[in-house]
Amino acid sequence: MSSIAQYLLNGLMQGTIYGLVAIGFTIFFGVMNVIKFSHGDVLTFGAFGGLVAAWAATALGFPIWLELVFVVLISVMASAAIGAIIARGLVLPLKDAPPLNMLLMTMMVGTAIRECIRLFFPNGTNPQRFPELLPSGGFDLSGVYFRYDGLILIAAGIAFIFAVQWIINRTRLGLAIRAVAEDGETARTMGINFTLTVAIAFAIGSMTAGVAGALYGLYYSEINYSMGLILAIIGFSAAIIGGLGNIWGAIVGGYLFAGLQTAVVALLPALSDYKNVIALIVVVALIAWRPTGLLAERGSERV
Amino acid sequence: MSAGSKNESPLIASGLSVKFGGLLALNELSIEVRRGEVLGLIGPNGSGKTTFFNVISGIYAASAGQVLLDGRDITTLRPHQIAAHGLARTFQRSRLCLSLSVFDNLMLGAVRRLNSGLWYNLVRRDRLAADVRSAAKEARDLLAIFNPDLAGKLWQPAISLGMIDRRRLEICRALIGRPKIVLLDEPSAGMTHDETNQLMNEILEVRRNLGNLTVVMVEHEMGLIERATDRCVVLNYGKKICEGKYADVAADPLVREAYLGKS
Amino acid sequence: MTVTSMKGTAGQIVSSILVTALLVGSLVAVLEIEDQRALGICVAIIAGLSFLAPKLGILRGAEQAGAHHPWAVRLIILIGFCSLVLILKDNNFALLMIATILIYATVCLGITIQTGYAGLFNFAGAAFLGTGGYTAAMLANATWLPDIVTILLGGVIAAALGTVLILPVLRTRGHYAALTTLAFGVLFNGFLEANEMLGGPQGLKVPGIQIFGWDFSNDLVIGSLSFSFYANYVLLIGAIFALFMIFTRFIERSWIGIWLDAVRLDEIAVSVFGLRISVWKSFAFTAGNFLAGVMGAVYAKMTEFIAPANFTFGDSLLLVAIVLLGGIGNRWGVLVATMIVILLPEKLQFIQEYRLLLFACIIILLLMVRPAGLLARRVRVFEERH
Ligand SMILES: Nc1ncnc2c1ncn2[C@@H]1O[C@H](COP(=O)(O)OP(=O)(O)OP(=O)(O)O)[C@@H](O)[C@H]1O
Ligand SMILES: [Mg+2]
Repeated sequence: MSSIAQYLLNGLMQGTIYGLVAIGFTIFFGVMNVIKFSHGDVLTFGAFGGLVAAWAATALGFPIWLELVFVVLISVMASAAIGAIIARGLVLPLKDAPPLNMLLMTMMVGTAIRECIRLFFPNGTNPQRFPELLPSGGFDLSGVYFRYDGLILIAAGIAFIFAVQWIINRTRLGLAIRAVAEDGETARTMGINFTLTVAIAFAIGSMTAGVAGALYGLYYSEINYSMGLILAIIGFSAAIIGGLGNIWGAIVGGYLFAGLQTAVVALLPALSDYKNVIALIVVVALIAWRPTGLLAERGSERV
Repeated sequence: MSAGSKNESPLIASGLSVKFGGLLALNELSIEVRRGEVLGLIGPNGSGKTTFFNVISGIYAASAGQVLLDGRDITTLRPHQIAAHGLARTFQRSRLCLSLSVFDNLMLGAVRRLNSGLWYNLVRRDRLAADVRSAAKEARDLLAIFNPDLAGKLWQPAISLGMIDRRRLEICRALIGRPKIVLLDEPSAGMTHDETNQLMNEILEVRRNLGNLTVVMVEHEMGLIERATDRCVVLNYGKKICEGKYADVAADPLVREAYLGKS
Repeated sequence: MTVTSMKGTAGQIVSSILVTALLVGSLVAVLEIEDQRALGICVAIIAGLSFLAPKLGILRGAEQAGAHHPWAVRLIILIGFCSLVLILKDNNFALLMIATILIYATVCLGITIQTGYAGLFNFAGAAFLGTGGYTAAMLANATWLPDIVTILLGGVIAAALGTVLILPVLRTRGHYAALTTLAFGVLFNGFLEANEMLGGPQGLKVPGIQIFGWDFSNDLVIGSLSFSFYANYVLLIGAIFALFMIFTRFIERSWIGIWLDAVRLDEIAVSVFGLRISVWKSFAFTAGNFLAGVMGAVYAKMTEFIAPANFTFGDSLLLVAIVLLGGIGNRWGVLVATMIVILLPEKLQFIQEYRLLLFACIIILLLMVRPAGLLARRVRVFEERH
């Protein structure tokens, strides 16, 4: 009983991280029709930004709650900034190029970020300890042990998901983003600043990576230069399961992927080394079964 | 009744409906195309003409209804299977492979006739070369009917052609596969009045050469519809509102209302 | 007098001799020079010459020679290749490098068929290479199996695995196929490391090649000349590469070549004319991975050892970078780009550590200013007699 709850909690944590990453993919795809594969490395970049912030906060003698706020803030801002720069400088100029060029571009940008961290971050090849800033310990509820930090992080992640959802669906900025996503040309003629809106949309999408990066560091207490790669693949597949372009679908996809992984670990412990492989096989089967995603209605390309 | 008998209608659509979200793009549309005729398909913007072509050629799935091509039910077939039954088309928005040569683009229309076997393509290079030569000759002859200059540009990339030549190339691509029926979606889109007239003459000439091919044509220029078509079908909001000779159709109050938007 | 002033056949033949000589000379110089400063100067001179070659019309001439006198050009290349092996005959390192270049170039030919022609993404080139290699390793105990069959099986298994990977998503459009190869490329490593049967992180030993009593692990002796044992492999790999170069060209210059290009450029238009998209996509994907798998098996037998670290996602990315750098869809571009991408970091040691970063930046720059690559692909013109 207690182990089931443990798996559940762990799965929820992973699902939240995956869902956040998937939202980013969904926003980029919705706005510009691109798979921005550097998203995972933007996440890594944010997490390392948070690590540097933690070091600075310790050096400046911040109290722990302020350090926590500072770390999360810097993670988010670092990701948002680099996301917006990539969008403005590298993605927008290629918007009329063949899709292969665009995918290669974002993939190479991701590689460049990853390699820069590995080469230029002090001791960057090795995993880095991430400070534990959340209250340790937990409480026992009818035999199930709940870690405080896990609960807090899951709650924070879900709160951020709702915040993004609110920005996109309820604000003027969100309206502009949705207009650009619907039809860039028309949005432009309606007086929306296309370039700026795209950059902001990419910044918001990249913030999700910053949050996910901070959550990852705080929960696992360890980050490394290549963690974004696998997270990008998982986030990308979660976004596809959800129908690319549908934020709720992306979140469902994230939790589904985490659920699959957890199921493999819990039910087939001998195969737990292959949990990603197995989960991805299931995802590919799902794509084959419903190419437009689980939630999306079947649309057809205009001819 | 045997499939494809001589006097049977080559294309019969009955009760076709297509939904995009809440929008009924085709609403229980029934159209019968007679053998050897030029049928004009007209109607205001967004009335479902292109959608009709897309359903017939298998790009969109119909939510209800049935399409018979030469007596065979093709409603649920995929585009390449429908092509195999002798249907070809052009697209409203030009869909050439611009970086490929004029010849390559044309040959796409002849996919079904050309040998795609591995042994033939990789080993029997002599036979392939001979077939390429005869295909090039056939391509030149066809292009020359439209524009002798175009025939000389066989090995240039399609992107180097002007607007009208691109249109001609698309039409040739639909014809070179020797289809039994072709659908032309606004062949003159974006052309001046004179260019449109000229293109239409060329199309009609080629059609005669091909033994009175059956043609369904979407066209906005009414003068052309009057001159080129044997019969017209008028669509509005995905429904057929009128059918008959152009003169009769043009006089129909429902049609006038659809076009002038009279309330 | 420049070559451009020579018209017709003579000019074309001279051009192709010059281009071949430039390639062979550059390779020999870069491989033989050890001093880092001299090497730097040498690379600069080669870059300068390569910049001049198109200005003098030599490249164009060689290209036309290839179109009008293919067998003469093939002979010139053969002579160039043989002299290369002859000059480097007892330089183990240099011959190993040549072999490595040809292996990577072959994998990139496969990616050219997949991505350059059919427009299918393949971000798992190194993984398919590894599949061929591990196939050879697993068959090591089956000594009754002739090595030629083992090598072919490497190709077949890689091709089959690729087809199984991509078949489920073939009907879907766009990026979904990219996901499966991406996932395969990234997870391949971890899968091998976790798998005890495949040797885990330590990898596996593989026996060298023996064909009809010709043992590739012994020095090659022809008459009074003695070559490093790597020369065996260079000759075999060179032959396979040449075969696949011709194969790729025949595919491109055939109806199939048109079909593949059309599948890349406009699936919808082309399906309306009766082309079966999924058939041609799987053909391109299978053929490309077959090339990778064959070379993977040869590679494993040449190095007599393989480990997961040889087939990382970074390597797969380098392969895609090569294809783009050379000029997507251009076979000779692939060869030139492979030389640059393999040799430069290997010889200029200060680059080694930074190579992935360096090539990532080069590709980013290329995509911004010259997406066609170093040698842009030409419009296909079927040879016509005039
Ligand atoms: N793929 C699609 N997804 C959603 N709606 C579509 C799609 N294709 C067409 N529609 C809608 O269906 C209706 C019919 O469109 P269609 O293109 O068939 O009109 P048309 O008669 O060809 O018009 P035009 O004369 O402008 O070419 C329009 O309202 C259009 O917006
Ligand atoms: Mg239309």
